[in-house]
Amino acid sequence: MQRMVIQRIIIGFITLWVVSVLVFIGTSILPGDVAEIVLGQTATPESLAAYRAERGLDQPLYMQYLTWLGGMFTGDLGTSKAGGASISSLISGRFGNTMLLAGIVAIISVPMSVVLGLLAAMYPGTWIDRILTFGTLSLISVPEFFIATFMVLIFAVQLQWLPAIATMSPEASFWETIGSMAMPLITLIIVVAAQMIRMTRAGILNVMNSPYIEMAILKGVKRKRIILRHAFYNAIGPIVNVIALNLAYLVSGVVIVETIFAYPGLAKLMIDGVQTRDLPLVQACAMIFCGTYVILIIMADVAAILSNPRLRNPK
Amino acid sequence: MTDATANTEESTIYDELPDAPPKKKLELTWVGKLGVTVVVFWLIMVFVGPYIAPFHEADIMAYDSYMPIFSTTEGEGFHLLGTDYIERDIFSRILWGARTTIGIAFTATLMAYAVGVSLGIAAAVAGGWLDIGLSRANDAIISLPSIMLGLLAVNAFGSSIPTLIMTAGAIYAASVFRIARALGQDIMVMDFVEAARVRGETMQWIIFREVLPNAAMPLATDFGLRLVFVVLFISSLSFLGLGIQPPMADWGSMVRQNLEGLGYGSYAAVWPALAIATFTISINLIVDDISASSGGSLAKKMI
Amino acid sequence: MTESKGKSPTINSLSHTDQDMVKSGLSRGVSRRVVMGWLMAGGATVAGAGSIVASATKAVAAMAQKGGTIKFASDLHGPSDTLDPGLNTSTIDYSRGRAHYNGLVQFNDDTSVRPELAEEFSSNADNTEWTFKLRQGVTFHDGSSFTADDVMYSMGRHYGEKSTSTAKTLVSDVAEWVRVDEYTVKAKMSGPNGDLPKILATSQFKIIKDGTTDFQNPMGTGPFKLADYQPGVRSLHTRNEDYWRDGPNADSLEIFAITDKVARTSALLSGDIDLMQGLDPKAIPQIESAPGVGIWSVASGAYIGIVCMTNTSPGDNKDFVLAMKYIQRREKIVRSILKGQGTVGNDNPINAAYGPDFCSDLPIRQHDLDKAKFHLKKSGITEATIQVAEVAPGTTDVVLLMQREAQKIGLKLNINKVPNDGYWGAVWMKTPMNVTTWNMRPTANVMMNLAFAPDAPWNDSLWANERMGQLLVESRAVTDAALRHEMYCEMQTLISENSGMIIPAHRNYLDAKSDNVEGIGTMPLGSLGGYEWPEFAFRTDL
Repeated sequence: MQRMVIQRIIIGFITLWVVSVLVFIGTSILPGDVAEIVLGQTATPESLAAYRAERGLDQPLYMQYLTWLGGMFTGDLGTSKAGGASISSLISGRFGNTMLLAGIVAIISVPMSVVLGLLAAMYPGTWIDRILTFGTLSLISVPEFFIATFMVLIFAVQLQWLPAIATMSPEASFWETIGSMAMPLITLIIVVAAQMIRMTRAGILNVMNSPYIEMAILKGVKRKRIILRHAFYNAIGPIVNVIALNLAYLVSGVVIVETIFAYPGLAKLMIDGVQTRDLPLVQACAMIFCGTYVILIIMADVAAILSNPRLRNPK
Repeated sequence: MTDATANTEESTIYDELPDAPPKKKLELTWVGKLGVTVVVFWLIMVFVGPYIAPFHEADIMAYDSYMPIFSTTEGEGFHLLGTDYIERDIFSRILWGARTTIGIAFTATLMAYAVGVSLGIAAAVAGGWLDIGLSRANDAIISLPSIMLGLLAVNAFGSSIPTLIMTAGAIYAASVFRIARALGQDIMVMDFVEAARVRGETMQWIIFREVLPNAAMPLATDFGLRLVFVVLFISSLSFLGLGIQPPMADWGSMVRQNLEGLGYGSYAAVWPALAIATFTISINLIVDDISASSGGSLAKKMI
Repeated sequence: MTESKGKSPTINSLSHTDQDMVKSGLSRGVSRRVVMGWLMAGGATVAGAGSIVASATKAVAAMAQKGGTIKFASDLHGPSDTLDPGLNTSTIDYSRGRAHYNGLVQFNDDTSVRPELAEEFSSNADNTEWTFKLRQGVTFHDGSSFTADDVMYSMGRHYGEKSTSTAKTLVSDVAEWVRVDEYTVKAKMSGPNGDLPKILATSQFKIIKDGTTDFQNPMGTGPFKLADYQPGVRSLHTRNEDYWRDGPNADSLEIFAITDKVARTSALLSGDIDLMQGLDPKAIPQIESAPGVGIWSVASGAYIGIVCMTNTSPGDNKDFVLAMKYIQRREKIVRSILKGQGTVGNDNPINAAYGPDFCSDLPIRQHDLDKAKFHLKKSGITEATIQVAEVAPGTTDVVLLMQREAQKIGLKLNINKVPNDGYWGAVWMKTPMNVTTWNMRPTANVMMNLAFAPDAPWNDSLWANERMGQLLVESRAVTDAALRHEMYCEMQTLISENSGMIIPAHRNYLDAKSDNVEGIGTMPLGSLGGYEWPEFAFRTDL
C-alpha cells in the first residue's frame, strides 16, 4: 500500500511533466503570439519586435521552456508575458478563491449526493427514485450558464436578495461575501451533484447484481443491511472515482460560473492565459490543475483499494 | 501459502455460480416508453426537420427581434415560437438544430465510447505497463479543463463540425476510459471471473462474456450522462464565442445567443433549452429502464 | 432638443437625456457659453437657453457632491491589463489611466482640447513647432515634483527601436522633443501638423514619472492614487488629496470587468455596479424599462468594416467589391442589429461625428440588388469566404445579414467564424475577406491617415491610392476652410468608391449607468464619454 502510494506520487510527477510539455506545445502552435495579441490591431513589425525582445519572446521555444522549467525547480513561476505581473502574484489570491469555492461545494454536494444516490438505489423504481432521477436529469440537461443567468435575474435583479456578482472584494464583510457566493455555490452544487447521485445509484445497483449479493439475499439478509454493509462498500471504487473527477472539475473547469459571477478564480485565468498565449501563466495553471487531479485520483484509488480487499492483491 | 488453499476452496463454491447475470427481455415502464417516444420524435426531426421547417435556419426576417410566441409578420408568415435576437424563426431553428445538436452529440459520444471502453478494459485486463502508460496519457488529458482543450483545438484547427466531434470525442474518451478501467478492475477480481479463470477460459471469453456484460449497466448510465455533457460542452464553447459556425443552428448556442431576452420576458432562450432537456432526459429515462431490466432482477426481488 | 412653450423654460423642460447632457456638461466645467451653444443648436432661443442654463447651473451646484465609491465594470480584463500608457489598448486600461495619470492636454466633449498638465500650448505660424508651458507645483503620487524631464521621458517612450508603444505612428511626424527649461518643452515637427495637441490628448500619451520601468505600481499625477491593483481581478483607486486642481468628486473608484455581457447588465440592474461599458444593443429595452438606470449612448465615428483585400481575389476585382457594397442593408443594420444606436455608413470612415470635415454631399449608397447582380455577374465570381470574429458588438450579425443578401444575387458567401484572440495577428490583413473595427480618432485626417494612406501600416484592404496620400499630407497645411473641405470631400469620395473597405454602419458608444451617478461626458472617442469620467463623475445619493 505504502509502496503503491509512493509509486503513484512518482508517476504523478511524470504526469505533471508530460502535461507541461503538451500544454507548452499546444499553446505555442496556436495562431498569433502574446506580442501580436497584446498589441492587437495597432501592432507594427517594429513594435512587435521590440515587445518580443523586452519579454524574452525572441528566444527559441525550447529555451523558453527550459527557462520556465529551471524556474519551477527554484520555485520561481516567472512573470506574465502579457501584463508583466509576477505569476505568483496573479495566482495567489485566485488560488485561495478557487479552493474556497470548490471546498464548500464539495463539503455540501458529496455527502448529499451519496445519500441521495443510496436512497435511489434502495428503492429503485419507486417514486423517490423517479423524482430523484427526473430532478437530477432536468438540472444537468440545462446549460449551466442558463441556470446561473436565470438565478441572477430572479434573486439579484428582480428580488434583489443577493448580489449579481461575487468579486470577493476585500472591503466586503464576511456576510456580504457569503451572500455573494450563494449563487455560484448553488449553480455548482447542481452541476456536480446530479452526476454523482446518478453514478452512486448506478454503482450500487450494479453491485446488487453480483452473485454474492444474491447469495446474501438467499440467506435472508435484510435489504437495507445488504446495501449499507455490502453493496455500498463494493461500489465505493467507481463512486469515489466519479467524486474525484467532479472535484477536479470544481478546481479547473468552472470557467463559466467564474465568468458569469465575475468570480476571480483560476479556471478563467487559464483561459485568459491561453487566449493571450501567455505561456508561463498557462503552464502555472496547468501544473496546479494537474497536481490537484493527481492528488485526488491517488486518494480515490487508495479509497477504492481499502474498500475492496481483493484489489490489494490483484492477480 | 494460505492464499492458494483459500482459492481452491473458493473456486469450488464459485463453480456453482452463474457465469454472468442472466439476460432478461427488455421491458419498458411507461416512463421508458415516454422516453422512447420523445427520442424517436427527435431522431425523425434529425432527418426531416429541415424539410418541414417553415423557414431556413439562416433566414433573417424583416420585422423584429424577440417577437413573442404565435406572432405573425406581414408577408412572411407565422412564428410559432417567435423570433430570436436577430429576427430568425425559433421554431425553424430548433427543427434545423436537431440535426446539428443530436448528430454531433451521438457521433462524439459513440466515438468516446469506442475508444474509451476498449482502452479502459484493455488496461484493466492487461494491467502492468500498458495500464500505467494508458492511465498516465489519460491523466494528462483529463487533468486539464475540457473547455480549455476545446479552446486549444478550435484555435488550432478551426471550428468545423469534424473538429468539434473529434475534440469532444477525445475529451470524453478520457473520462470513459477511467470509468471503464475502474469497472473492469473491479470485475476482474470478482469471484465469477476468478472462477472462469480457474476453469481455464480464454481472456477473450472473459472479456466478452464476463467483463463487458457486467460493466454494461454503469456504462450505459454514464452514456446517457456523457451525451448530455457533449451537448453542454458544445454550448459552453459558444459561451467563449466558439462552437458551431453561424448561421447553423445548434440548441446550446441558441440558448446562449438569446439569453439576453430572458431579462425582459422573451422566451427565445427557453425553447432550445427545453429541446435539450426533453431529448437528454428521454435518453436517460430509457437508459434507466435498460439498466433496471438488465441488472435489476435481484434488486426487484428486494423490493 | 425641444423646449416647451409658455413661461421661461428651465432644465426640467428638457427631455431626460438632454437634461443629463446639460447637467453633466456643467458639472465637468464646460463653460455656460458652450452649453448655451448646444441648446441653441438644438433649436432653443438665446433667452430660452440662458434660462435653462441658469436653472441647470443651480441644479448642478446643489447636486455635485464629493465622496462615495463609484464601481465601474468594463467588458474585458485579464492578466494583460496594464498601467503602461504606451501599451493601453482596452477600455479598462484607458479608464484606469485616466484615474491615475494626467496628459499634457485633455479633450473637451467636442474633441477640442484644453490645457491639463501643460498650462498653455501654442504653435508657430505654419504648425511646424509646438510649445508646451508646463504647470508648476504639480506632484506625483510619491510627492516628487512634475517637471519637463517627466514629459521628455514619457514622450521618448514612443520613439526608437525599443519602443513597444501602440501609438508611435501617431507621433512619428514629431522630429524631436526639446527640453527648453524645467517647465517648457517643444515639439519640432517634420511637417506642418495643427492637430498635434489632439493626438497628445489620447490615452497613450499620459505623463509618467521620469525613469519608470515597473508598471505594477507606477507613479502618476492623476486625481486618484492606486490602493489595490490586481490585473484581471480589479483595481481600487482612492482620492489623491494633493491633487493639483479641485480634486476628483468620488472618494474612490473600483474598476474591474464583467466579461459576460448578460451578467454585466444584471449587475447594473441589481445595483452592484454604477457604470458599465459595452451595453449590448439587445439589452436596451431591459435597461429602459428598469427604474434607476439608463443608457448612455454617444454617436461617434467608430465603425464596423468588411474588408476585401485589394491585392488578391476576389477583392482585386472592383466589380466584386462594388457588388458587396450594393448588397449592404445599411438601414436594416442600424435598426435591427444596432437597435438604432448607430448611423448609416457610406463606405466612408468619416461621418457627421467628425464635424466640418465630413463630406455630407456624398449620396448614401442604397441597397440595390439589381446593380449588385450586374456587378457580380461582370466579376464572374460565384463563391467567396469571409473570416469573421466578433471584433465589435454585432459584427457577426452584419455578416450573417450580408450572407443572405449575397445568396439573393447568386453569390455563395461562406462564413468562417474564428476566435477573437489571435485575430489581429493571424487573420486581419492576411485573408482575402475579413472584418475590422475602428474606434473614432480625434480628427478625420488622423483616421484616414491610419487606415487609408497608401503606406499606412493598418490600411485594412491594402488599398494604395497615390492621390489619397498626396491629399492627406497637403490638407494638413491648408488653412482655407473651403479648399480644405473640398480636399476632404475628394478623399472621402475616393475611399467610398474605390477602396476595398465596406462600411455599412457607424456605431454609437453604447454604455449604461445608474441614475445615482452623474458627470459622465459625451466625448465621442471612446466609451462613457471618451474615458474622461473618472475625475468628474459623482454620486447623487450621498
